[in-house]
Amino acid sequence: MVYISAASGITHQPTFKNAGFSASLDTISSDTELVSPNYKDYIDAGLLRRMSKILRMSVACAKECIQQAGEIHPDAIVVGTGLGCLQDTEKFLNTFLSVEGLLPPTSFIQSTHNTIAGQISLSIGNHGYNMTHTQNTLSFEHALIDSIMMLAEGDAHILVGAADEHISFLDSVAEQLDVTLPVAMTSGCSFFVLSKEKTDQTLAKLTAVETYGEIQKLEEHLNNFFESNSIDPARLDLVLFSGLDIDACGQVLHYLTSRGVKEDQIQDYLIYSGIYPTASAFAVHYAVDKIGQDPSLKNVLVCNCMNRRNLGLTLIQSVEA
Amino acid sequence: MDSLKEDLKKQIIAQLNLEDVQVEDIDDEALLFDADGLGLDSIDALELIVLLEKYYSIQVTKPEEGKEAFRSINSMAEYIRKRKAESVL
Repeated sequence: MVYISAASGITHQPTFKNAGFSASLDTISSDTELVSPNYKDYIDAGLLRRMSKILRMSVACAKECIQQAGEIHPDAIVVGTGLGCLQDTEKFLNTFLSVEGLLPPTSFIQSTHNTIAGQISLSIGNHGYNMTHTQNTLSFEHALIDSIMMLAEGDAHILVGAADEHISFLDSVAEQLDVTLPVAMTSGCSFFVLSKEKTDQTLAKLTAVETYGEIQKLEEHLNNFFESNSIDPARLDLVLFSGLDIDACGQVLHYLTSRGVKEDQIQDYLIYSGIYPTASAFAVHYAVDKIGQDPSLKNVLVCNCMNRRNLGLTLIQSVEA
Repeated sequence: MDSLKEDLKKQIIAQLNLEDVQVEDIDDEALLFDADGLGLDSIDALELIVLLEKYYSIQVTKPEEGKEAFRSINSMAEYIRKRKAESVL
């Protein structure tokens, strides 16, 4: 069994150091801003000056998560990111186009996806397994799967999380592609400490994570998921869902509602997180927080259908379930 | 203040994103790579090489030259003047 020992997030909601935040969420609008802590409380000024938004968010959030877990030393750091360090990538490419001769190295060095996990590792002096997964909208789920395997191989604690940052260029791309989004694009990061053993601090159980790419046999996949975890869909207390009621996403909704999940038990989480590739990490944090606040919640399914060709399923259960 | 040194300080603050540092905070003789000075590191050294090329069209090709040139604001200004004078000859 995998236990969630700590959870932290920096998003467009008051998620940071705020247990019970799930009760006070407002829907995202185009002018909702990232709720940032004072980063100087978490990051040395000498390092902070070089860090882009995604790095500041991730390092501060990871450090707070570790503090919450009782200053543990994680055996591994695993990060999922859909689009990586966009701010530095944009800066590097703009310099590349406009400057002749030598290019400033910092934005190039920090433009790679694995800078996030690397900077966390440097900030806390961790020399363990350090991995970054980038699988579009399923990046976070893949980071979770990797972490679960590491725990099965003997690790005690894993720091796992996800981060993505919004830059205005993404809005220009959406406009040029004539894409109408149901909610604004945002930035967000969420980190968790996963542990092999249950303690007094355990927040919830991470029971199962599955991903399906280019979905073909949807019903078969869903049947297998519920059967292998010995849970009837009707026993789900809450489904946190992303996606529209069309194509495969629509089929998932129909599958759930035809098997006893009531419509008012299905909650769209993108209206709270905004759109970014790893928003399902926000949903997991939201689920953990809800379980902490409401003892009647036993089984919560995060159903990530943001990209309608891919499906991510994450089952979170209360410690008592 | 020597205008070259003042320009250098402004350029260093901008290039290295020294958020809390003002021009008047940087002493001409302070060691740039020392914790008691600006506390710069190896990535900053690369940024300084780029800065010299960008603003002064000076390429630092010999590592030992850079080590001495980047010691302080005074040594950087001296190095720039020396290289500019050489290029005129």
